[in-house]
Amino acid sequence: MQNPIPLMEAGITKTRSVCGYCGVGCAVDVMTRDNRIVGIQPAMDGPANEGALCVKGQFAYDFVHHPDRLTRPLVRRDDGKLHPTTWDEALQIAADGFLRAAAEHGEASVYGIASGRTPSEADYLMQKWVRAGFGTHNIDNCSRA
Amino acid sequence: MSNPLKDMEKPDVIFCIGTNMTECHPVAATRLKKAVANGATLIVADPRRIRLAEMAHLYLPLRVGSDTALLLAMAHVIARDGLIDQEFVAARTEGIDRLLEHIRDFTPEWAETITGVPAADIETAARLYGRADRGAIYYTLGVTEHICGVDNVQSLCNLVLMTGNIGREGTGINPMRGQNNVQGAGDSGAIPNNYVGFQSVSDPANQAKFTALYGREMSLEKGPTKVTALDRCGEQIRAMLIDGENTLVSDPDRIHGEHALRSLDHLVVMDIFLSETAELAHVVLPAAGWAEVDGHYTNTERRIQRVRKAVEPPGEAMPDWWIITQLAQKMGIPGFDYESPKAVFNELCSASPIYAGIDWDLAESGQYQWPIPYKGHPGTPRLHEDGFINGRGKFMLIGYRDPAEVVSADFPVWLTTGRRLESYHTNTQTGRAEGIDYLLPRETLEVHPADVDAWGLANGGLARLSSRRGSVEVVVEATERSPRGTVFCSFAFNDVPVNILTGSGYDPITQTAELKVCPVRVEALIEEEIGLVA
Ligand code: SF4
Repeated sequence: MQNPIPLMEAGITKTRSVCGYCGVGCAVDVMTRDNRIVGIQPAMDGPANEGALCVKGQFAYDFVHHPDRLTRPLVRRDDGKLHPTTWDEALQIAADGFLRAAAEHGEASVYGIASGRTPSEADYLMQKWVRAGFGTHNIDNCSRA
Repeated sequence: MSNPLKDMEKPDVIFCIGTNMTECHPVAATRLKKAVANGATLIVADPRRIRLAEMAHLYLPLRVGSDTALLLAMAHVIARDGLIDQEFVAARTEGIDRLLEHIRDFTPEWAETITGVPAADIETAARLYGRADRGAIYYTLGVTEHICGVDNVQSLCNLVLMTGNIGREGTGINPMRGQNNVQGAGDSGAIPNNYVGFQSVSDPANQAKFTALYGREMSLEKGPTKVTALDRCGEQIRAMLIDGENTLVSDPDRIHGEHALRSLDHLVVMDIFLSETAELAHVVLPAAGWAEVDGHYTNTERRIQRVRKAVEPPGEAMPDWWIITQLAQKMGIPGFDYESPKAVFNELCSASPIYAGIDWDLAESGQYQWPIPYKGHPGTPRLHEDGFINGRGKFMLIGYRDPAEVVSADFPVWLTTGRRLESYHTNTQTGRAEGIDYLLPRETLEVHPADVDAWGLANGGLARLSSRRGSVEVVVEATERSPRGTVFCSFAFNDVPVNILTGSGYDPITQTAELKVCPVRVEALIEEEIGLVA
C-alpha cells in the first residue's frame, strides 16, 4: 500500500481520473509535482479495473508535456502559412468563415466532427454547435475506432 | 456492452470474434483469463493467430471478411441440433419461424467453403455456445469494420436470441469500444441520426423538444455520416469544424481524405498537436488534453466516470468546451453562456433520458451505468434483464456477401489491419511518449514464414505493398500469427500509412469503413530500389 505521507513530503499531489486510452476506462491516480505529471498509479477501487492497469495506461503520458504541444492559436495568412495569433482573432476568423459558408452555400454546407477521446462535455457542445447553429444534423464522430 | 465488465469473469462459454482483446483492451482480457482459469471454455474466431487464439480451447481461423458465413452456419447447427432456448424464444422474441426457414441451407459444409474453417469445428463451436448455461459474446472492430459490419452484429444477435444468452450474469453481447470516450460521443448526440441520449432526429416529438431547447427550428432529416461528408467536401460541404481527431491518418483512403479536406473553403481544427489534419486547417485552436480538463468519459460498459484536471494546459491552450462556447458566442448562436463544464454536463443530463437520473455531483462516485432514467434510480449494469426496450427481440434475416474487393491475379493477398498494444490509434499521442517509442520502434508487415519464402521476401527486409489505390513500403516480419495468404499491418504509424491502401467500401448502413480487408500485392524491394522510392 502507498503511504501518503512521504508523497506529500516530496511535494507530490494525487488526482483521481480515468485513463484516456481505451474504452475499458481504468481509474487512475495522476501523480503530479510542480505542474508536471511524474507518474500514474492504478486506482485500487476503480470500478472497471480494480487496481489493474496496462502498459499504455501506466506509461504513455509523456505526450502531455511534449514540446510539440500546440500552445497558441494559429491562422493561415496570405503567405499560405500558419501564424500564431490571439484567441480573439483566431475565434473571429473561425466564426466568420462558418457564417460565410452558411450564407453563401446554405446551412447544410457546415459540418462538425467530434472526437471519441475528448470528454462528453466537448462532444455535447460540438453537436449543439451544429444543431443550434445551423438546424441540421451535420455531426459525426470517429466511432470507428 | 449489454453486461458489465465484472461479468467477464462469470461465463461458462466465451465466444470472442474479431477482437484482439489482449492488445486492445488488456485489462478486460485479464478478466477473461480469470474466467478461463476458473474453467470457462474459450472459443476465438479471428483470421490471425492472436494471443487470445493461443489461449482458446477452440480456435476458428476464418478468412478475413467471412464472419457472416460462420455465424449463419452456427445458427444452422443450433437449430438443427435442438439447442434453441424455446422458453426464451417464445417469451421474448419474434420471427423465429422465418429465421429457421432462412438458415436451413447454410450448413457448416457450405460455410467451410467460404470461411476455410473445418465444418466439424464450426459444429463444435455452435454446440458449445448453444449448450452454455451462461454464454457471452465479445467483439470489436474486427466485426464492425467491414461492408457487412451491421450484418455481422445482427448475426451475433440472432445467436444470442436463439439461445437466451442475454439479460443474465455472465451472458450478453458485448462490443468492446476502442477509444476511451467513443461511447460518450454517441451518448452525447455527436451522431447524425440521434440527439443526445439516442433520441431519433426523425421523430417529430424530438424535433419539437430540441427546437424549444436549442431555440431554433430543427431539421427532421438525418445528417450525412462523416464518410459521406468527406465525399461531398468542396461541393455540398464547404466548411468543417474538427475536434481532436487526426482524420487524415485514421480514415481509410488517405489520398482521397486529404484531397477532401483541401477542397474546403474553411477548415477549423481543435487539437493538442499540429496533426496532419491540423496542418491543412485555416485556423488551428490549441486544446487542453487529457489530465488538463474536468469532465466525463463513458466506458464500454456504459459507466459514466469523472476525469479531472491534474495539471495546467501548456501556453494558451484551452479546454474544448470553452473553445466551442467562445466560437458559438462569436457567431451569435444562443444558449452558449456556460461558465464551467459542470453547467454543460448538467444540461446534457437533463436533455438525455438515459442520463436523466444523474448530474455533475451524483456522477462523482463513478458508480452509475446508463440508463439511469430518473433521480434515485441505481443505474443499469446489465441490460435487458426484464425485457427488451422495444418489445420483443427480432430475428434478422442476413445473407452472406463478399468483401467489397476480393483477391485477384493482380492483388492476390489479403491485407488486414489493426492495432497493437503499445501504440494507440494514429499515434499523435503515444508517438510522442518516449516510453512507447522504445517499446515499438517501427511498424512491420506480418507475413507467414512460408509466404516469406514463397514470395521471395526476407525476414527483416523491405517489401512494397500495393492495392488498387496506392503503395507503401514496410519491413517484413515472418510470423505464424498470419495465416498463409493473409498479411497484417497496424494503422498506427504515419511513416507507414497503410490507409493509402485501404478504403475499398463502406457498410451501407453505418458507413463504417472496410479497414479490415483489402486485397494487395506484396513484392520484395531490392537494395538499389530503396533509395529511389519516395
Ligand atoms: S489502462 Fe489500458 S486497459 Fe485500462 S483504460 Fe487504459 S489503455 Fe485501456
